[in-house]
Amino acid sequence: MNGGYTLVICEKPDAARRVSEALSGGEFRSEQMEGTTVFRFNRMGEEFVACAAQGHLYGVSDPARERTVYPIFDVEWYSSDLVEDNTNAARRILAIRKLASGASKFVNACDFDVEGETIGYNLLRYACVGKEKSALRATFSTLTQEDLVRAFDDLKPQAGLGLARAGRTRHAIDFVWGVNLSRALSQSALGSGHRYRTVSIGRVQGPTLAFLVDREREIRMFIPIPYWKASGTFEKDGIGFTAGYTKDRIETRHSAEKIKEECLGREAVTTSVNRNVVQVGPPAPFNIGDLQKETYRTFGYTPTRTLQIAEKLYLGALISYPRTGSQRLPPSINYGGIIRGLARIPEYCAHAAELLKGEPKPVQGTKSDAAHPAIHPTGEKPKRPLDASEAGVFDLVVRRFLAAFGPSARKELAVATLAVGEHEFRLAGGRTVFPGWMRYYGRYAGHRDVKFPSVSEGDRFRVAGVALEEKFEQRPPRYNQSTLLEKMEREGMGTKATRADIIATLVGRGYASGENMEVTGLGLSVVETMAEYAPSIISTELTREIEGKLEVVENGGEGGTELLRETVRSIVGQLADLSAHEEAVGREIDSALTASVAKSFVLGKCPVCKTGDLRIIRSKTTKKRFVGCSNYSRGCRASAPLLQKGTLRAAPKPCEYCSWPVVYVAGGRRPWRLCVNPNCPGRRKP
Amino acid sequence: MKCPICGREAVTDFCHYHTEAKENVLAAYPLWVKAYGNMEWKDFLDNVKRNPQTGQWVKEIAEILKESD
Repeated sequence: MNGGYTLVICEKPDAARRVSEALSGGEFRSEQMEGTTVFRFNRMGEEFVACAAQGHLYGVSDPARERTVYPIFDVEWYSSDLVEDNTNAARRILAIRKLASGASKFVNACDFDVEGETIGYNLLRYACVGKEKSALRATFSTLTQEDLVRAFDDLKPQAGLGLARAGRTRHAIDFVWGVNLSRALSQSALGSGHRYRTVSIGRVQGPTLAFLVDREREIRMFIPIPYWKASGTFEKDGIGFTAGYTKDRIETRHSAEKIKEECLGREAVTTSVNRNVVQVGPPAPFNIGDLQKETYRTFGYTPTRTLQIAEKLYLGALISYPRTGSQRLPPSINYGGIIRGLARIPEYCAHAAELLKGEPKPVQGTKSDAAHPAIHPTGEKPKRPLDASEAGVFDLVVRRFLAAFGPSARKELAVATLAVGEHEFRLAGGRTVFPGWMRYYGRYAGHRDVKFPSVSEGDRFRVAGVALEEKFEQRPPRYNQSTLLEKMEREGMGTKATRADIIATLVGRGYASGENMEVTGLGLSVVETMAEYAPSIISTELTREIEGKLEVVENGGEGGTELLRETVRSIVGQLADLSAHEEAVGREIDSALTASVAKSFVLGKCPVCKTGDLRIIRSKTTKKRFVGCSNYSRGCRASAPLLQKGTLRAAPKPCEYCSWPVVYVAGGRRPWRLCVNPNCPGRRKP
Repeated sequence: MKCPICGREAVTDFCHYHTEAKENVLAAYPLWVKAYGNMEWKDFLDNVKRNPQTGQWVKEIAEILKESD
């Protein structure tokens, strides 16, 4: 249609508002359409309308959509309201469909990556009816006015079709994989007599759960072996210091005692002192994985939370697009402009001014991403007060960016060896002689000086004491969300956009719990069963191979359809394996499910009889839930009423006032803590 | 037959996890004896059970081994 407007499709409503603001110079008006907000503005005499998706408005499903039916290989894209009862999606699609009928030109302005491209492609194809190939693409990495104006001055035809093809293939493969195997598992458990409960397993979820289970086995099977460590206290003229025995691990108590006996009270001679200065370069700019690891280390945020915060900062035009794999900052982002912008923020003013004295040149990491640079600040000042978590992540991103331009730090490391007869002790220390980039990175740099006493070769000291410490081998640590993400990245499991969600799914499905991702009985049983009857479901190699092929499609290569066919062939084989052992698989999953459900009702030990468990029970007559003791039949009458609304989860520790269990109640705006004892003295505390 | 500790299918007297844990305990005993000079089997089991680094399946089998001794 000639004479119509240009319809701009953004990924999120906040992005649509920023695009409108930037392109119109603030002269835009918002209006309601089908309960969603759209924006109208003029730019250089042309009329524009900007609208937004809100995540995926189309999803893959099977025509039957019946949870007991499998195998399913015939999949289609449906609007999300049909797939998951999303009425908001239906309203948005209707609005976009109406807007499309009056548009003459279409611009896809969703985030420029696989997910964003898929969202935009589907809207252009289905809601706008066949506009996916004629639409133009706006590509940008920040939502600043400068970047957006540049992107719309330089609209590209079909810039991201490869990404969209890869995204659609990935969605189809993951759906076919997940739906068939999850339904097969759920059905086999149902056949064993359990009421229906989804037992999910996904293409990336399976191998990731297997990582956790492998580590859990090592931990539960671990037996520590003892050993000893020795250290000596050395004195001369009132100067004293401690140095460790050179052999880190002394295997027997007898050897350790012998060292003590042969050194105590004797004279030590300093046989060598080595000092050298090492250069410590700045850390690479952040990609999303690095940011998630660093926020976990510094603030304790989960990868999912970090991603949410970073996306908010991106939508506020404070940082660049966060879902990037790149650790590189190209000159095109305009280093000087960003640093000058940061100089207007009091906290960074001094550091920015220092960097502007020279020609700023950042350190670059090894990983790159064709679509977006490393995460960096835009140089804009926050226009609204940031909450504590946003302010923390923003500060971290800014300081990491500034640090990338800083000079290398210099550290002096010193090591001295002290000999006592045939025994040797080592004294080590280090100090920062030039902080370089560490000053810009501030408290996140985490450097600490270790004092090194004044010691020269040939100096003699008296061995005033020898301390022996009994130690035990440490079991391997459990993965936390950050180290698991790192492991997935290393093993090529999932993408930067999906890893955090997969970890959250493992927790949500009850396969792992707690901050340290402790595997539950259900998680262990699912992996055990798969390993025995259909090992390829948890195979790292198969998943990695598919990821590699998807990457080829992403980069513009063909092969999406063939890959889907290959996946179907692989699933057919896996389903046959599961079906051949359906009874055994069902029995094992069912018994794990039963144990997991029973465990979820136990709140803690009964403080009255001391032997029973306090459990959540639902009254057969009133249908209301309450707390009762498992020793009721043996006479324990401990009980308490419970809130009838909200999800309850037992806290790890009982109440400090009365020792009754404490629960977290979720269902309101944020979960809250409650002691289940109605007479708890803690409830009366102000 | 079921594992008396966890109820999984038994492969010996125990399930495969507790069987492996038992093998670990038996293999670790001479290492503890060597480390301390000497140590009674029961003291070893007590120490293993008390040690916070010991894995859950090892603790469970150590308890059973102690009772059955």
